[in-house]
Amino acid sequence: MSQSEPEKPVLFSAERLSRYYGDFGALREVDLTVKEGEIVGLIGENGAGKSTLLKMIAGVEQPTAGQMFMQGRPYSCRTPLDANVQGVGMVFQEQALIRNLTVAQNIFLGREDHFRRHGVISWQRMNAAAARALAAIGMGSIPPEKKIWDLNFASRQMVEIAKVFDIVSTANPGESSLILLDEPTSVLNEAECQLLFQETRRLRDEGHAIIFVSHRLNEVLALTDRIYVFKDGTGAGEVKTQEADAQILYRMMVGHATTGQYYKTERQNLREPEVALRVRDISLKGIFREVTFDLHQGEVLGLCGVEGSGNEAVCSVICGDASPSSGTLEVAGTTFTSFANPAEALRYGILSIPKERREEGVIGILSIAENMIMSNLKAACSAGVLSNRRVSQIAREWVGKLRIKCGQVSDRIMRLSGGNAQKVVFARAMISKARILVLNHPTRGVDVGSKEEIYTLIRDMTNLGVAVIILGDTLDEYIGLSSRLLVMKDGQAIRSFDCPPDAKPEQVEIIKYMM
Amino acid sequence: MANSASLPGRGDLTIAEEFAQKIADERRHNQLMQMVPGIILASFAVLASLFVGGFFTVTNAINILNQISIPLILATGITNVIIIGGIDLSIEGVMGFCASIVTLLVLNKKNSMDLGVLGMALTVAAGTFIGFVTGVLHVKMRIPSFMVSFGMGSVITGFGIMSYGGKPATVEYALFPAISQGSILGIPYLSFMALGIFLVGCFIQKYTAFARAIYAIGDNEGVLRSTGVNVDWVKIKAFAWCACCASLAGLFGAIRLNRGEVIIGQGNLFTTITALVVGGASLAGGKGGMLESLVGVVIVVIIQNCMILLGINPYIQEAVKGVIIILAVALSVTRGKKDFVK
Repeated sequence: MSQSEPEKPVLFSAERLSRYYGDFGALREVDLTVKEGEIVGLIGENGAGKSTLLKMIAGVEQPTAGQMFMQGRPYSCRTPLDANVQGVGMVFQEQALIRNLTVAQNIFLGREDHFRRHGVISWQRMNAAAARALAAIGMGSIPPEKKIWDLNFASRQMVEIAKVFDIVSTANPGESSLILLDEPTSVLNEAECQLLFQETRRLRDEGHAIIFVSHRLNEVLALTDRIYVFKDGTGAGEVKTQEADAQILYRMMVGHATTGQYYKTERQNLREPEVALRVRDISLKGIFREVTFDLHQGEVLGLCGVEGSGNEAVCSVICGDASPSSGTLEVAGTTFTSFANPAEALRYGILSIPKERREEGVIGILSIAENMIMSNLKAACSAGVLSNRRVSQIAREWVGKLRIKCGQVSDRIMRLSGGNAQKVVFARAMISKARILVLNHPTRGVDVGSKEEIYTLIRDMTNLGVAVIILGDTLDEYIGLSSRLLVMKDGQAIRSFDCPPDAKPEQVEIIKYMM
Repeated sequence: MANSASLPGRGDLTIAEEFAQKIADERRHNQLMQMVPGIILASFAVLASLFVGGFFTVTNAINILNQISIPLILATGITNVIIIGGIDLSIEGVMGFCASIVTLLVLNKKNSMDLGVLGMALTVAAGTFIGFVTGVLHVKMRIPSFMVSFGMGSVITGFGIMSYGGKPATVEYALFPAISQGSILGIPYLSFMALGIFLVGCFIQKYTAFARAIYAIGDNEGVLRSTGVNVDWVKIKAFAWCACCASLAGLFGAIRLNRGEVIIGQGNLFTTITALVVGGASLAGGKGGMLESLVGVVIVVIIQNCMILLGINPYIQEAVKGVIIILAVALSVTRGKKDFVK
């Protein structure tokens, strides 16, 4: 590992970098420096701003304020290609490979000109060049003429890295490059991770710089030289890896706990004995395994975990969007191995409120009233005929109850703000008489005022006996809302916490198990 | 309480290993699926030889080669369009249009034109230009390819009819019968030419950056865009090449008939697309290739040929083709719960 050497030159720096979406600041005034021959780690909760920062450095998104510098010169990039030319390359979490082309064809996709003579590509020369590019990252064993289909996942990851590294180093021969690795280890096994680390260190020792993002703290501690911690879209400090340990990082990552009042904890239900949903040993091959819990009436169960921990997949199984490979679900006295579709789940009282409200939650061309009644048209029918008067009547009733700000209930729902549209979705859930709600990030992208109203709504519903499973936006929200928390890591439910109103667990306690 | 967490490390595999296994399974499934059309072709050929009288004869083999030529030329062009996830419904129209105008450009009974080979070249150029326009409308105005090509097909069919004013021209150019009646070893020149065009298609697929871009668009267009390739231009070229092949097919049709009629293309669109799907191309894009298309064309032509030999009612033949395409799509589509079909 690195001793205290003479100061290395700075390769990349960002000053007061910000990214706003309307009023929402995904990243606010972040400073970052990366030196040549250095591996820098970025850590933080989901949504802390790491990915947004990477995307801006890689040219996928543009900052709304602040400046970036590469080798002392002002740096800006409109596209990833633009970034590559200036010495910056990003390895994306979702692999950007064309599966029905060969390794060599992928590495040189869009750059075939060097291998073309009279319009004909020489595969021989391209394969040889690909072999060199793979050897440059120590992966000479991957055959360049094989199709991506025929490689295992880890090799695909290495091809991706070889491709990015080759693009960047070809564009800037002899210069130091900056390589961004976004969660590169999430699907690799131990041996494959070690290999990746070994090669990452080699690139560093050659003078290149690497920014490494991972949810796994032990990896960040093992690999990096310096660590930046992010919290709620802004920098929460940096530490030298030598001086850091897991405890220190946990403390830096968590925010101040908000008062219970914000989350209406005084209205949190005590656990009722009736079980609304029994989940037994459900597994989804390759995603999560043997998850077991009871969801009681009137409780809020937080399913927390970092991205890829399997918590979202558990929810999609519960609401009928995916079929588990084993295990059972028991609801309303009936045992299922899986629901055929979300409609069947709803028949047994389970309704999901999706994350992408604009795309999945509401039908933009329908009215507010129609959106509300959609899941339970029977409520407004007489003798099989839909009564529009009854629809409006029910809608007006709920507009009042939930304090939805709108003109006419016959207005198109597109006109509503995010928070109000979300309330319409909640109204639909109430009208549909769902007994179990799966809330997928219910407060994402809504303003502070609407957030509080949504918390109130959740309490309203649980007080009526509705059971809620929630995927939250921050750990603070998870703890504040939930009566119980189930922590998932690497596809397994590893710990559960009771969160009574008067004795909420500390964030640090929970984040320990998540990362 | 029942909420105890499950024990880690149970079972032999970790989640990551399970994931790797899933990818491996997918891979095996894919390799298997790739072999299916070949197996179907072989078994059809054997079954037909055994049970269909007159199938396993030299005359019938030549017959099949004859029937293959036009679908094969069309398949050569449309394969790229299908791989990018598009479709070109105008190939029948382009075929008919080109068959019509070529007969008016070479020596014929209807007008005084006598451009000979130049007339044939102009016809192919005009046909290719139609594909270029289809492609431009598709990518620049963002109209779905099926709609643009549907419209273009109709427009061009109209032009075709107008060109000869309702009464098709009869060709007097000596080269036409010379080509259509010439043969080597009993195999017609036209079949050799069709094979030649197919080989050009194979060459393009194997040795050009264009073909790499075609596959990339079919699998993940975003990746290709981010490498700086002009994706729109690649698409336009795919449609132009498809129309170029369709005009060659029209030319062949006119040579065979010695007459130009707009209806010459009829029925070929359906045969060609059925052949591609049977051969293993995915209408969602990303899958397929020249070899797959060849296998598909041969399968479909053999089925047609057998039905003719067995004397099956032509209307039923049409229905059978319909069943085949639906079956082929049903068997080849990978279904996920979250995929929507419209």
